[in-house]
Formats: sequence, C-alpha cells, structure tokens
Amino acid sequence: MKKIAMLMAISFLAILMMTGCTSEPQTGGSSDSEGAEGSGNGSAAGDELIIAVLSDATQLDPHTGTDIPSANVYHGKIYEGLVKQDENMEIQPALATEWEPIDDVTWEFTLREGVKFHDGTPFNAEAVKKNFERILSEEIASPRATLFEMIEEVKVVDDYTVQIKTAYPFAPLLANLAHYAGGIVSPTAAEKYGKELGQHPVGTGKFKFEEWTPGSQITLSTYDEYWGETPSYETVVYKVVPEDATRIAMVETGEAHLAEPVPVTEIERIENSDSMSLNRSQGLGTDYLGFNVQKEPFNNKKVRQAINYAVDTEQIIEGVYNNVGTVADSPMGPGVWGYNENVEGYEYNIEKAKELLKEAGYEDGFKTSIWTNDNQARVDVAEVVQSQLKGIGIEAEINVMEWGAYLEATANGEHDMFILGWSNMTGDADYNQYFLFHSEAQGTPGNRTFYENEKVDELIDAGRQETDPEKRLEIYAEAQKIEVEDAPAIFLRYDENLVAVNNNVEGFWMHPAGIYMIDDITINE
Amino acid sequence: MFIFIVRRVLQTIPVLIGVSLVVFLIMQMVPGDPAVLLAGESATEEQVNQLRSQLGLDQPLYIQYFDYIKNVIQGDLGTSIRSNRPVLDEILVRLPVTIELAFWSIVVTVVLGLLAGVISATKQRSLTDVSIMVAALIGVSLPNFWLGLMLILYFSVQFQIFPVSGWGTFAHIVLPALTLGTSGAAIVARMTRSSMLEVIRQDYIRTAKAKGVKQRYIVYKHALKNALVPVITVVGLQFGALLGGTVLTESVFAINGLGRMIVDAIRMRDLPLVQGSILVVSALFVLVNLIVDISYKFVDKKVDLN
Repeated sequence: MKKIAMLMAISFLAILMMTGCTSEPQTGGSSDSEGAEGSGNGSAAGDELIIAVLSDATQLDPHTGTDIPSANVYHGKIYEGLVKQDENMEIQPALATEWEPIDDVTWEFTLREGVKFHDGTPFNAEAVKKNFERILSEEIASPRATLFEMIEEVKVVDDYTVQIKTAYPFAPLLANLAHYAGGIVSPTAAEKYGKELGQHPVGTGKFKFEEWTPGSQITLSTYDEYWGETPSYETVVYKVVPEDATRIAMVETGEAHLAEPVPVTEIERIENSDSMSLNRSQGLGTDYLGFNVQKEPFNNKKVRQAINYAVDTEQIIEGVYNNVGTVADSPMGPGVWGYNENVEGYEYNIEKAKELLKEAGYEDGFKTSIWTNDNQARVDVAEVVQSQLKGIGIEAEINVMEWGAYLEATANGEHDMFILGWSNMTGDADYNQYFLFHSEAQGTPGNRTFYENEKVDELIDAGRQETDPEKRLEIYAEAQKIEVEDAPAIFLRYDENLVAVNNNVEGFWMHPAGIYMIDDITINE
Repeated sequence: MFIFIVRRVLQTIPVLIGVSLVVFLIMQMVPGDPAVLLAGESATEEQVNQLRSQLGLDQPLYIQYFDYIKNVIQGDLGTSIRSNRPVLDEILVRLPVTIELAFWSIVVTVVLGLLAGVISATKQRSLTDVSIMVAALIGVSLPNFWLGLMLILYFSVQFQIFPVSGWGTFAHIVLPALTLGTSGAAIVARMTRSSMLEVIRQDYIRTAKAKGVKQRYIVYKHALKNALVPVITVVGLQFGALLGGTVLTESVFAINGLGRMIVDAIRMRDLPLVQGSILVVSALFVLVNLIVDISYKFVDKKVDLN
C-alpha cells in the first residue's frame, strides 16, 4: 500500500513539474502583458474587452490570410489598409488621406504623415511599395494575390505619395484595397520574419499584438502612439470557446463581453436574458443550392428552373434559420455594391415546376443527390429540399461530407446538387460575380456549378474595367438578370450576422463583412 | 525489473514506426487537399500548385515519408501547415493541460469509484448497494458533453460557483474533471465491487475474521489490496484514453487540450501536426501501460514481470 502511495506521489510530482515548465504562452511584442488567463469567475474589468469566439486565428499575416476568425483579430485592429469601408460599405480614408484617378490605369494616393508601425518603423511610400511587392511575390505565395494581380507597378512619387498602376482599367481597386489582405505590414518585420510574420504581426493599427496561446487565446493592447483616437479600454482578449452554449453562457455571466457566432437556436435564450442582448445586422454573404450544370439533367435550364419553382425558400428561412437572414432573389444581397433590386427571383409554384419538368422531358422526375458538408443548418436545408422535391417526383439522396472532402469533391465536379455559401469580403459585385460565375473561376476558385455563359463572362470582364459607377451598376444588373434566368443555383438566403452582447457593453457594431468593430466600445462596470 | 523496463522501452520503437506509417497512409487516402484548404476560397489553380510545392506535397509519397522519419529521429516533428508553427511547440502548449485534466479526472475516478465500490461490496444487497449500483449505471450512460453542459448550467450560470470555461486555477478544473471522471468512477465502482466480493469469500479473509482482526482493517488491508489488480488495469486504460484528449469535454469547457487540436488538424489535413501529435500520444499511452504493468508488481508480489 505504501509503495502505491509513493508511486502516485511521484507521478503527481512529475505532472506538476511538466505543467510548471511548459505552459508559458507564446509571447511577442512587449513582455508586460496583461493576459487574462486564470482571471477566474469575476466579471470582466472595465479596461479589458473579452470576446468569445468559435475558432482560433490560424496566423496573423494579412497577406496570406484566408479566414475570418484570423481577420477579425488583425483587420482594422493590428493592421490598417490604405482605405477602409464604413458601415455602408463606402470607402473612407485610413492610411491614405486622399486619392484620385490620374488616368484609366493609375491611381494616386496621398499618405498620412507621422504614422509609425508598432516596431517604430516609419510608414511611408516605400513601405506601401514593399507591401504590394510582398503580396505579389512567389515566395509568399499569397492566396490573396488574385485581389491585386492587376497591379503592375507601385511607384513612389515622394515620401508620402504613391501611384498604383494597373495592367488594365480595374474599377474595384479601392474595394480590394479595403479588403483585409490589403493591410499594410511593417516592412522591417516582414523582412525579419518572412513567412513567419503571421506569428509576429506588426502593423500601424490601434492595437498591437501582445501574446498568443495557440488554441486558447490572443491578447492585443492599445497602441499609445496611434495617429488617431485610441479606444477607451486597455486590452482586448479573443478567447476560443468552441461550444456554442458555453460561449453564450460566458456572456450571460459576464465572463465575456461579446460572443460570436450565435446559432439560430439560441436567439430566444439571448433575447429573454436580463444580462445580454442580441446584435443583428445584415451580412454580405449568400447561401445557395447549386446545380452541377455540366451534368445531366442539370445541363437543362428548364430542370434548374423547375427546381427553383419547387423549393419554398421562405419556409427554409423560417424553419431552418429561425427567420435569420432574408429571402434571396439574386446572387448578391442588398449589402453588396452592385445589387440589383429589380431582379425577380422564383416564386414557390409547384404547377409551374411540374410543367417545366414535363417540357424538359422529365415528367416522371428523376433520381439525384444533394451534397453538403456536416454543418447542421445545411443538412437541415438539404432535408427540407429533399422533401419538397418529392412533390415534383424528384428523389434526392442526401450526401453529407466532412468539409475538406466536400471542398475537394465539389471542386472536381463530382456532385449533382450542393449547398454552399459565398461571403463577400470586399462588398463589391466583382468579388461575387467573378468567382461564382466566370468560366475561368470554375472549380476551386468558387464557380462550383461549372456555369459557363459567354455573355456573362463578357459582362463580368467589362464590369472590372468600367470606371463609371453608373455604367458598372448597369452591367452587373444585366449579369444578375441573366444568372437568375439561367438558374445555375437556387439563391436561398442573404445572411445576417448575430452577436451576443453583454449589457455592460456600449458602442459595438458589426461590419457587414463579419468583422467586429470594437473601436468605440465602452465597458460600464 | 530494470531489464524489463529497458526491454519495454525498446519495444515502443516499432510501435511508433507502425503508428506513424498507418497515420501517414490514412491521411493520404482521405480525400481533401491541404493546399486547397490552406489557400481558401477564390484561390486559383496556379496558387494552389505553388502552395503544394512549397509544402513539399508534390513529392512522391515514399520521399515525403522518409523525409519525415529522418526529421523525427533528429527531434524535429516538422512545422504545422496551417499555423506555420513548429509542431512540437503546438503540442507542448497543450500537453500539460491535457495531462493535468487527465490526472484530476483520474483522481475523481479512483476516489469516487473505489469508495463506492468498497461500500457496495461490504453492504452487499442492502439498499445502499442497490442505490450505488443504479447511480453507477446512470454514470456510465450519461454522455459527457451533456453532463458538462448541465454542470455549467447549474454551477456556473445559476449558482455562479465555478467559472464557465477556461483554464489556470483549481476552480477551472473542478467541473471538467467531474465531467470526465464520472463515467470512469462508475466503471471502477462496479469493478471494485465485483472483485471485492470475490476476495471476501476467500479463506484467508475468514481466517482474518476468525483471528478477530478489525473489520475495517480486513476490508482495506486484506481484501481491497488483492481486489485491486483488475481495477488498476481499468484505471490505466482510462488514463491512457484521457491523454489522447477528450474532444467533447475540451470543447464544452473551452479547454485548450490535445484532443481538440488533433481533430482540428485532421479537419485541415495538417499532416505534420496530426502525425506529430499522434506519435506523442501513442508514446504516452505506451508509457502509461508500462507504469500499469510495473504497479501490478507492487500490488501483487506473485506477478512476474519477466
């Protein structure tokens, strides 16, 4: 017995020692961080903003960024771009104070003076030039290079003036510059860390990086030498809390100030609570149910239209999404610049659907499959659609896949029908139109319906080059009309952003692109 | 005993090579391309190919595997594809958390389980015995994630005794350890009860009773010690399983442990991270088994390790 006790005591000691030496979080920036680890059960202090999030950031280099959880840590916080978008998606000054087109392919930017990166490096025209060279370099292999590949040259005119020359007239340039990938990084840090900048982020933003315990939390602190106003609190902590119910319980008890995302099933709980409320705002994404138009019977436009008539999208939004989001009539929502409000979607009309199927030669229906990833809402949508399609004689089998496998299968065109969403970080029509409908974007880039229409290709190309906004709107209006008519997909829903906000937080708003805007927050204790 | 330990440690080498090979092959067979997942939406074919070659994924499989093994032998587990951080660092951030959680869960398992089992056995067929066994049945059947959420609901949201989530102080450990320890405790209780009942009927217990040895001394010194061997086996297995991470409980309490990391890594096809963490977990599992085998010797002198 004594020996067992001894053995246990020894293993216990060994465990304590291991815990003691290795649990140091990864630290960057200054070392006097105020990490919130072990802050216990007490309510959050007034100088620390705590955000409970679903997923940890992957890395904090904007030039190689591909995911929103990471962008939410750095975009507009650690880094700023030359320009930014306000809540109406209008372009506003950031690191550039003024800009004007000099000719069809040249924009001139006047840069803000007296700005310093967090590492003390001065911000100037040379830094801007180095940033764009970095994004477009092979060494970085930025997945975001597509946003800037038309840039031919960044010319330093003087210390605080740069010209960006594009290979062809490119209208969405300002919107692309406002994308998180357009964040300006410290050239000194970029040189020092290379591809590892993602672990040692240095920008010009209101917040500087403090520390990161991977999988657990990231801490930023306010940057005292920021060129503008600094927030009313000292630090912001992003805590990774994968379980929905836990995240919301944290806001309820005051352990966190904000929690996101909020599952639609938790809406009532938040609205009925005394200690928190729900922040709802229009998003830029669209959920859709696509057809593989290269495959029979979906290569027949009438079949696609028939299914559009046979699916009751309103019922899906009510039943699956708990009335979060709005019925979609076109591929992009009202939040996106270029939205055409005159496009009419398909009503719910079984008779018309049957008629069209008959015309297409599928009077007795057919067998097909609906593919989706293992996301509960999408699986629910698939089930609703499955039962609705029965009404016109179509037998659909549901194929649920794991995310990685699903992306690969749909990029290869193995699917029949499939459910996906398309977010829109730039808020510009081009980001939606090019990737979803251009024949050159088929497969991995985004066009997973494998849709191909020469006229639409032409319009999308023209939209990229047209500099007159009025004419651009017309171009996109026409493109959307054709796309809805061709029906490569059922456009289901324009999404909505939901955030649980503790009642002691004031001044929070959500950027339509899904970015938390925390600058104006005050925390009342 | 020393020879025994050395031999067992050497035996782990082929085990680990086998594990790495199996994991490597499975990850190759699963559909889903890490380069595509890393490049994200709107990446062109060209960019994906560029990433693929940067990651060395365009090399033949056997070269990828041997490069990997070569590096592992030199102590380099590689770099995570997704975060660009060394795999060893990623593991070391989470391992202590996982070990601590596993340790406290096992404490709950052993203390609750043994106590309940011994009481049950000594009061066989009483109301206490029946109640404990019913409780044990419920304990085994409760799904972890549900128990966790209920504990949060009552002890964190309603009564605000313990924090909802996080890690760092003892208060953070209580609810997750209870969540994880409960089902183990239930198994241990049933195990202890049945093996105690067997021992209690042995002649030497009767002899001890006849000698007039105190009841408590008989139970804990004579009976329990001999009933422990099967219990140790169960506890060892439980501990090994806990070290592999407990995805659901870690998710519910937002604990930054190995289980969640491995699942996320598999989802992103982060091969080096999956390989590295499974290697480490396997090594730990083997180690725990070794400790279990050695501890048999302490409990029962008749066990021959060689």
